[in-house]
Amino acid sequence: MEENINNGVEEQESANHEPTSVPVLNPSIPSGEQTVWADVASLLDSACNDLQDGELIHGDNFNLFAAMSALEIMDPKMDSGIVCRYYSVDEAIEDGAAPIPLSLNKTVDVHCMIDVMDHMLSCEATWHKGHSLAQTIFSCIYLLRPDRTSSHALLHSYCTVIRSTCNAVISAVSDSRTHEEEDLFTITSGLPLKRDGDEKCLSMLNVIEETISRQLHACKSPSHKKRSIEDIEPLQTNLDLEEGYCKAVLCRLRFRKHFYHVLVCLRRPQGRGLELARKHIASCLVELDSILKTEEFLRANNRNGMWEDGMESEDSTTASGCQPIGFDSTLNSRLSAPTPPRAIKVFCWKKAVEYFQKLLHDLDIVCSHPIDPLHEGALRFVVEFQKLQPDLVARSHLQLLLVQDGKLFGRDPIFTMICKAAAVPELAKNLDIQKNESFVHLCQLAITLLKILCTNAAWQRRQLGKVLQDWRIIHMQLEIALRKEFEESSSTSLDENLCMKIYKNILNWVEEQTYWIAFRFLILGFELELYAPSEYCMVYWYIYVILIKLGEKMHLRMITNSETAKRKGKKKRESMKDVAREPAIPPAVLLLQCQIYLAEGLTLMISALRNEHGVFQCRGPFNSEQERFIQHFELLQKACIPDHVSYYTFRDYTAHSQFDTLIMCNYFKEAQRIAKELRGSFVNDKNKLTELRHIEQVAEHNGIALNLVSRLGSLDPSLKVSFEFNHHPHFATAVVKRS
Amino acid sequence: MEETTTPDGSIVDESEIEYVSYAGEHHLPLIMRLVDEELSEPYSIFTYRYFVYLWPNLSFLAFHKGKCIGTVVSKMGEHRNTFRGYIAMLVVLKPYRHKGIATELVTRSIKVMMESGCEEVTLEAEVTNKGALALYGRLGFIRAKRLFRYYLNGVDAFRLKLLFPHPELPPSHPYSHSNTVMSSVLESYEAHELGP
Ligand SMILES: CC(C)(COP(=O)(O)OP(=O)(O)OC[C@H]1O[C@@H](n2cnc3c(N)ncnc32)[C@H](O)[C@@H]1OP(=O)(O)O)[C@@H](O)C(=O)NCCC(=O)NCCS
Repeated sequence: MEENINNGVEEQESANHEPTSVPVLNPSIPSGEQTVWADVASLLDSACNDLQDGELIHGDNFNLFAAMSALEIMDPKMDSGIVCRYYSVDEAIEDGAAPIPLSLNKTVDVHCMIDVMDHMLSCEATWHKGHSLAQTIFSCIYLLRPDRTSSHALLHSYCTVIRSTCNAVISAVSDSRTHEEEDLFTITSGLPLKRDGDEKCLSMLNVIEETISRQLHACKSPSHKKRSIEDIEPLQTNLDLEEGYCKAVLCRLRFRKHFYHVLVCLRRPQGRGLELARKHIASCLVELDSILKTEEFLRANNRNGMWEDGMESEDSTTASGCQPIGFDSTLNSRLSAPTPPRAIKVFCWKKAVEYFQKLLHDLDIVCSHPIDPLHEGALRFVVEFQKLQPDLVARSHLQLLLVQDGKLFGRDPIFTMICKAAAVPELAKNLDIQKNESFVHLCQLAITLLKILCTNAAWQRRQLGKVLQDWRIIHMQLEIALRKEFEESSSTSLDENLCMKIYKNILNWVEEQTYWIAFRFLILGFELELYAPSEYCMVYWYIYVILIKLGEKMHLRMITNSETAKRKGKKKRESMKDVAREPAIPPAVLLLQCQIYLAEGLTLMISALRNEHGVFQCRGPFNSEQERFIQHFELLQKACIPDHVSYYTFRDYTAHSQFDTLIMCNYFKEAQRIAKELRGSFVNDKNKLTELRHIEQVAEHNGIALNLVSRLGSLDPSLKVSFEFNHHPHFATAVVKRS
Repeated sequence: MEETTTPDGSIVDESEIEYVSYAGEHHLPLIMRLVDEELSEPYSIFTYRYFVYLWPNLSFLAFHKGKCIGTVVSKMGEHRNTFRGYIAMLVVLKPYRHKGIATELVTRSIKVMMESGCEEVTLEAEVTNKGALALYGRLGFIRAKRLFRYYLNGVDAFRLKLLFPHPELPPSHPYSHSNTVMSSVLESYEAHELGP
């Protein structure tokens, strides 16, 4: 095939063959060491005559990527250089696309200015949601020529704060950057994002805010109709509308001010600005409400004659419903080359406001996180936070708060944090042990884990799958180091004893983390819809196997933890007895036990359905269930998580399950019972209580379904079972229907 | 033209559908027109040529009474130490859907891949493309990953994968029930306590 398209002619070669016929084409670009510039027009001409339809001249490295990057000129789907309306920003300006002032009529000018602000907010939300900066915010011609605006104080200060805000957001996202999927967000090449004087954006904003609030005050005072206050010039000329316009502009300015403050406060080291950030967040939300309330006023004045039409309110990117002046999204599309321009629809104004409300609520939660140095607490917080499906900006800020300078909250060294989490005796922190290479590596893994948990679910799952291997390896390394330590330091007995303890606890903790990551990896598959119903059986089985291991490790840690705690408080003699008597299983472990029962119950119920009803089977013309198993759990299997588990273990476990034996030991009933009992143990933990409630619901419904199917299933072949996630995000509920 | 473009579904007799492997330049415009009409991503002519010239044996067209009504375009090659097939485009014209035509097209392509020594087949599909996802699911593809905003239109994609059985996989080995992890945490807790 290769010969067909490679007609043997390559530009490079020809240049080498005919070095003499050199009309210098572009001397400013050096031709490189062994090459010279040559005119290939005539060569191409004759090559063209030789080419048959469908043949192609290409280099050796012409691959799919090269083919896909090729453009068809003037195809609007591909050619980002295609001229839409204007050739350049200057041409647009000359054509009057972005006048300053926006109108010579002062009232119209203010009205247009408000439209610009609203459309900008819509653009900003669209940007945050994953479109390019160039095609959203920087579709604003005023922003593209920052020096032009200086004569218009309101426009100028607004553009300045927008630029500063963009910079703050970009720096947060790129500082927390963990992956390239969201790179589009921070691409700023060619955009005038920085301008001297921008650092004064807040004082500029304050000045103009001050002026307008005086104007508002003046127009509200009873005497204003008589125009007695000469020194205050009104915002615009129609005095009946003065109050409305002042208010509309003010809340928009104040929103910008507080939002900028929020971003700045969030970046203070060690979370020191969080309290203040929350105040500004509250103010932002107040201003957003005020902004929403100005819609009626702006719409009314829009209809009163300045612009006749206006799009329908649902789609409008402005409160007034008018098209804003000064935007052209096609001007910048060239900046995206060579990738074709992405199709883009700017958020409508209402949705943009909603986006910011959600962002601010998410950021408020980030700020409300207690700065405590507990690793487990941090992990749990991130996982809970992710349930709210926060967007990129909020997630980036959470990550920046959690990990600063390689420390938790920029304060607590990760090693200390791990020691605490692993219940290592206090003394250990001073030991040389932390300089050990494996421990350094472990600390890096712990930081990476925190960062990964802050990324979007799709990326997160892939990364979790990858790091599992690393956690497995570090466990091996620590084991080896432990053995070495043990052999070498048999001299100082007290130290040695301590060392052993540290290693043992940390080894156990590493395993616990590993199983926790594996568990999260598996359940994220539900959230991302990666599993087909016919695969649920193997997935729940794997979850079940992992959860058992996780439970073991967690329990061991808790026992050790309480031992250590007791030893501190009591005399040694007593503590030995206590451990032996230790009757209560910690609630956290029991909660896990509920989940184990659910996973086990689902595995067995689905496999019974497979065995007795022939449904939920993986059959395809090309491969078997084993291949699906291998693909889904490849990363777990490669890292031996857990040991001695394979497709055959799964198959043997499920091969004989039947409803009549299943009904005898009803796992769902057990789960429901324990969950009920556990409520009292978590009275102050809202998230755990929610989880318990969801577990109870799943267990109850599945228990009923199980009974139903086992009683009627064989008698009534029309009974159909399907699974839904209406009670729990990853434990399915069986729904039985007559078809 | 008239009699083939307006079938209401029942008119088309499956036996009238003819499947052919890519056979030359005259097929190219047929493929391009179908794909352009039905898929969201823009492809340049280079992309089409890249596929059909290098792997004509993996591309198939479906004809009904002389009209091209469906096509599949694929490739195969080395990728990170595995030899894998890749399905790039699959389209069946609307009036001809739900008759198994796409399934037949893809199946033919996959068979050639398998015979050529591929270990697996992959492709991407939009998460919202229920029809395609169901079709590939039935063929044994799993959803290996979700790709965040994979397409130019901002929609997520699934990376789908089909692994062929591997001849060297160990045959089923007996793993007795007593060996499997069946204990609950409660039991393992006791086991731990009984230990040294
Ligand atoms: C996806 C696409 C190629 C499927 O084409 P198709 O020919 O309708 O597919 P098939 O007929 O093989 O299978 C689809 C359905 O027909 C059903 N079907 C198959 N053979 C059938 C038969 N003999 N009688 C009735 N139904 C049948 C299948 O069960 C399947 O049912 P479902 O759609 O309810 O799940 C087509 O919808 C399409 O071109 N979409 C736009 C392009 C696209 O999305 N391509 C995929 C990119 S990855």
